[in-house]
Order: sequence, then C-alpha cells, then structure tokens
Amino acid sequence: MAANHTNYVIAGGSAAGMAAACAIRKKDPGGKVTVLSAEADPPYFRPMIPFLISGRKKASDMTLIGHGPYQNADIELRLNARVNRIDVRGKKVVVGREDDIFYDKLLIATGSRPYIPPEIGGTDADGVFALRTLADAGAADQRAAGTRHAVMLGGGLLNLKAAFALLERGIEVTLIVRSPEVLSQLMEPEDAVLIRRALDDAGLKIKTGVSALKVISSSHGVKGVALDNGSEIGCQMVCIGKGVRPNIEFVDPHHIKVDGGVVTDRHTACSARDVFAAGDVAVTYDPISGDRIVTGLWTNAVEMGRCAGANMAGSATVYTGTFGILNATQVAKMPFVSMGIVHTRGTDHEVHAVDSMGAFRKLVFSPDGNRLVGVVMVGDISKAGLYRLVIREGMAVEKFKKEIIRHSLHYGHFMGIR
Amino acid sequence: MSQPKEIFVRLDRCMGCHTCELACAVAHSGSQSLYGAIAEHPVPKPRVFVEWVAPAASVPVLCRHCEDAPCMHACIAGAITQTEESVVITDQDKCIGCWTCVMVCPYGVIGRHLEENNAYRCDRCQDRETPACVDACPSRALVYRSVEEFSRETRKAASEEMLAGEGG
Repeated sequence: MAANHTNYVIAGGSAAGMAAACAIRKKDPGGKVTVLSAEADPPYFRPMIPFLISGRKKASDMTLIGHGPYQNADIELRLNARVNRIDVRGKKVVVGREDDIFYDKLLIATGSRPYIPPEIGGTDADGVFALRTLADAGAADQRAAGTRHAVMLGGGLLNLKAAFALLERGIEVTLIVRSPEVLSQLMEPEDAVLIRRALDDAGLKIKTGVSALKVISSSHGVKGVALDNGSEIGCQMVCIGKGVRPNIEFVDPHHIKVDGGVVTDRHTACSARDVFAAGDVAVTYDPISGDRIVTGLWTNAVEMGRCAGANMAGSATVYTGTFGILNATQVAKMPFVSMGIVHTRGTDHEVHAVDSMGAFRKLVFSPDGNRLVGVVMVGDISKAGLYRLVIREGMAVEKFKKEIIRHSLHYGHFMGIR
Repeated sequence: MSQPKEIFVRLDRCMGCHTCELACAVAHSGSQSLYGAIAEHPVPKPRVFVEWVAPAASVPVLCRHCEDAPCMHACIAGAITQTEESVVITDQDKCIGCWTCVMVCPYGVIGRHLEENNAYRCDRCQDRETPACVDACPSRALVYRSVEEFSRETRKAASEEMLAGEGG
C-alpha cells in the first residue's frame, strides 16, 4: 500500500483557489487536489473580462491554467460544483444536494459577488449587469450589440473599465457617481483631477453627486434610469459597480467563525480544524492601519491563496496581511497607482502633494514624518513597487525622504551606499 | 554541473558610464545597431538602469529574476512566466498594460512602453551567449556567472586581500 496521500479540497476556482492549488502541488506532489468551481467556465483571469466586451480579447485569451505561474497540472477541476454546506465534524463538503466530498484539508476560496443596492428598484430587468463572471461579460457583450447608450452606476475601477470597453465599441456611456468624484475609494477628489480630465476628454459622460432611484424597463428590458435629482436618462443597458460582498452564505457561523467574511488567523486558518480561507471571502488585516479588512483584489487573493496552500501542505507560512488599497491600472491612457493610506482629510498625516508636467503624486507619511504610509501616483507610476516596499516594511525614511517626495527613489537608495 | 547563470553587479567597479544601457537598448532593437536603433519607433529601451546615489556612487539595477517572482504572481493577465532556466519573461502580446507588476516589483526594474502600452524587463538576452550589458561593460562591473562561480571568485578575492594584508 502506498502511504496515505493528503486529500485537499478547494472550494472556489479563481485567484485564491487556483493559487493555493498550485502552491499545494509544489509542496506536496503526492497529494490529491480537487478544485470545486461554481462557475461553468474553467478558471480564467477575472480582471480581464471587460476585454471581452471591448472585443480586444477572446475568452480563450483569458484562460488561467497553463499561463503565468499556473503551470502545474494534475489538479482535479470540477465545474458547476457549488459547495452548499461544510460538515466540519464529518470533514466533508456537500456539492449540490447530496454529493459528499471528503477532505483532509479544506480551503474556502469562494470569492465574492457584486453588491446590488436593494434601494435601487428594477435591477432584475433584462439589460442590467454587474460584471463578475465571464458569463456576465458574455451576456453584456450580447446586450451591447443593440445598445446606443449605457448607464453605469458607480464610479469605481470595475465600472470605469467596463465604461471604456463600451466606449470603444462606439456606445455612448454615462457614469452615475454618488460621491463628489470618481474613484472615491482609491483617492480623494483633488487627487483625481488628472484622471477626471482624461475621462472627460475620452468622451465619458460623468454625473457626480447623484444616485439612481430605479431602473425603468419594458418588455425589451432596460429603457432608462431614474435619478434622485428628478431626471431620467434613456438607455438600453445598465452596469452596476457598487463593490462586492463575500460569498459566505454556505458557511455555518456556529462551526466556522464569520465576521463580514471568514475569519482567518495569521496562518490563513479558520476557527475549524483543517479549514483555511483565502481571497475575497476571507477577513484579513492591513499591516499599516492594523484594521481587519476584506479585500476584493486579484493580486491579494493570489498572495493569500499561495500562503494558504503552503500552510495546508504543512509548511507553516505567516500571511503578512495586505493593504486595503493596492491598485494599479490605466484608464483613458492615464496610468495610476493607489496604495496604503490615501484618504487623509481630517487626519494629522504629513502629506506632500505634487502636481507637475501632466503627473500628480501624493505621498502620505505618518504624523511624525518618519514612515511612508500611502502613495497616489497619477500619470507617472514608474518604480511604484519601491514605494510599496517602503510602506510595507515600515522603513525609516529619513535617509531618502527627499527622494520619495521627488519621485526619484531607486533601489540604490536601499543599499546603504555612501 | 551547469548551474544557470545570472548577471551579477560588482558595485566597486561601476563608473556610471551607462554603456550597459546603450548596449541593452541596441540588443533589444530591430536593427541591432546603434545608428539603426536611434531611428526606430518606438525607440528601443534599455532594461538595465544605472542609478546614481549622492555624492558619487553609481548602481546598475536590473531584474533579479526572483525565484518566487512577485510580478508573476501579481499579473492579472497571465503574461509573466518563468523559464526552466529561472528567467522571468513578460509576454508583451499578452500584457494588457495594467502596471500591476510595476506596483509590486521591489527593485523598480520593470519598464513601460508607453507607445505600445505594455511592460518590458531584462530577459537576460535569451538568444545571446552572454547578455549584451555584460559584454559591453568596460570595467567588468557586470559579470555573467553561476551563483557558485561568483561566490567562489568573491571568496578568492577576499582571501587574497587578507593574505596581502598579513604579508604587508
């Protein structure tokens, strides 16, 4: 008889789940790894789905397995396999009604789903989308074919990307933003000036300080949106981008501790034995603010998933948390990075904001000025990773503070060269 | 046994002449010649960066091809892979220009093609015997060695220095 092989079960086949599966495979070549995905599509790079709508990429260009670090084969993947229950005593998960899958080690990596504000009426109409899955993007792509005007509810990153995908198809797009400015989760209004200008110049219509009351529809689906300022906008399509909520409904809080997400310790372990959690579904912490946070970021999910995988395979690995804000992207040809503590209004942080030559940067230091805690860069984001390192390691910045503020920091400054 | 080679920097030898940058850009040009490269659009970019630390030190910085490369794991498009020789490669056709790799690289060595909207980095000159920057360095500040060779040389140089010190 062969030695007992560990039976790893992973609920969720996206960033955290697949990163964990590959990490386990690396550490434990003999174990059995089963990934259960609720989706019909095999794992894909979720952040790329707006490209399906713009037509820049095909679904096959987004395939995860066999690309990037996801080269490890020998992972059993079950699609359309939604986990409905965890039996922590019997050490099994139940897929569907009565399909029992036993585990030695279980990872909860079921991710999150779009938040649809209940106060907005009519969101169940045809033509209303919240882009989360490849299937959502496929449906939105079809609807876009007959759409002249699309209305986006929410001024976050996902909606901006979707808005540009639609603009690229020649569709008129209006963005409805409740906050005073777009990207309010990632920066303060005055930090977003350059981005806003680029969005305006690109032809995106933006209405700030207003909310949608309801989606108006007919038998052909969406035909407009009623706003709280009394106006109505005619449209054939609505996209809701109001953030995400963790998929935790199947987790019994009597057996696994839940607090706005699945609670994990420093080794990504849950309160139940041999159960771990990672990604959008997990509650983790921000090493800068010390806050407990739930993030909805691919990059964070991968990092936490890899850590969980290592722990599940027996290599004790501490998860060092992540910044609640850690975003890089480019919209309307304007690159930007936002990380760490960037909302400083009403705080006593030392803030340096520099606006020069088509670029903006904001450096946020601790109140005593000795540590960097947050950065916003717009236009010029070169070497952003160095600043992330300075924040993350809590480095004393005395020796290169001037360089940080001037955005001339480079790796040589860390080498103690005189 | 043949260990994979890496580009090592001998800081005490760097004069800050930027010859490596020039050679790198030419090696990554279509024409493969300096005069041709200057005329190309977009202008070929160097993947090695000679930085300056006040008052008088220069430091060549380039991709370390990290074993557990943070850029590769962070990439949201699956555009970054690692070859069997542990060289981290960005597939510029797959890259979507989201700059997540730039945000996570702790060395600050991932460049951006603004014209083509994609990221580039040192590829250790996959089609050359020795990387162009190493070949071009006039002071031998850049060397192409296996970890073993490099540490052996460093040990030897240090012992020779110690012996010379004792004798004198």
